[in-house]
Amino acid sequence: MNNPLTADQLDNMFVALADETRRAILARLSLGEARVTEVAVPFDISLNSVSKHIRILERAGLITRRRAGREHVLRLEPRTLAEASDWLQSRQRSWADRLQRLQALLDEEDATSFQQTKGVRRP
Amino acid sequence: MKPDSHLAITVHHRFRQPAERVFDAWLDVRLASRFLFSTETGDMVRCDIDPRVGGQFVLTDRRPDGDVEHTGEYLVIERPRRLVFTFGIPAASPTFDIVTIEITPEGDGGCTLHLTAEMQPEWKDYADRARQGWAQILAGLEVALGEAGD
Repeated sequence: MNNPLTADQLDNMFVALADETRRAILARLSLGEARVTEVAVPFDISLNSVSKHIRILERAGLITRRRAGREHVLRLEPRTLAEASDWLQSRQRSWADRLQRLQALLDEEDATSFQQTKGVRRP
Repeated sequence: MKPDSHLAITVHHRFRQPAERVFDAWLDVRLASRFLFSTETGDMVRCDIDPRVGGQFVLTDRRPDGDVEHTGEYLVIERPRRLVFTFGIPAASPTFDIVTIEITPEGDGGCTLHLTAEMQPEWKDYADRARQGWAQILAGLEVALGEAGD
């Protein structure tokens, strides 16, 4: 598989996405960079708890953080999601190929049984 | 990006053959070893299928870069309409998929097969994920991707 993401990275990403608060943080960051304190505002949870969510998103490579003076500024990394999407699409192709192979096999069986029952017409 | 192309993938195929034959092929060693996890350059060296609910399968494809063992367990066997099994490659990842196959007979003697493969990573916060449901996760991913304008 030409998949740039390891199983661990995928796990980290899907864990990160499996939480409503973290998805809301991603949605906020999809509008543009934001400070940690700004990201925390809409949530009725402690800053400490928001920081925990942010660390999970960072670990997954979904966001990055840079320092601007005394503040931490967060940024969405859409490439990680794009890579995961590529990976899923390659799996979809694998299944589609398997169904194609099954069709070919069944057609082959039909052709063989037709030859057996009706006799083969040779040129 | 298509909504279905994320954590659960779906594919379908319209077969000329009847539902029973298409269904049986999944549990038939001779056929499964040729279409299921085989590759052009590989050689299917092992194909064990125990076709009952709770039964396991092992299909090993010998490829130029080594053997790839595919394993799983049958969860639902309802001939000819529904087959559900887990599927994983233990050497590559501890995660597994749940594959659901639904076969609908068509008026012309053929059938349509819908396949869904859902990722089931063995997460620590599995309960959290299960409660959320994939649909919501997918919606969230779609929103994040769409708005990011990648």
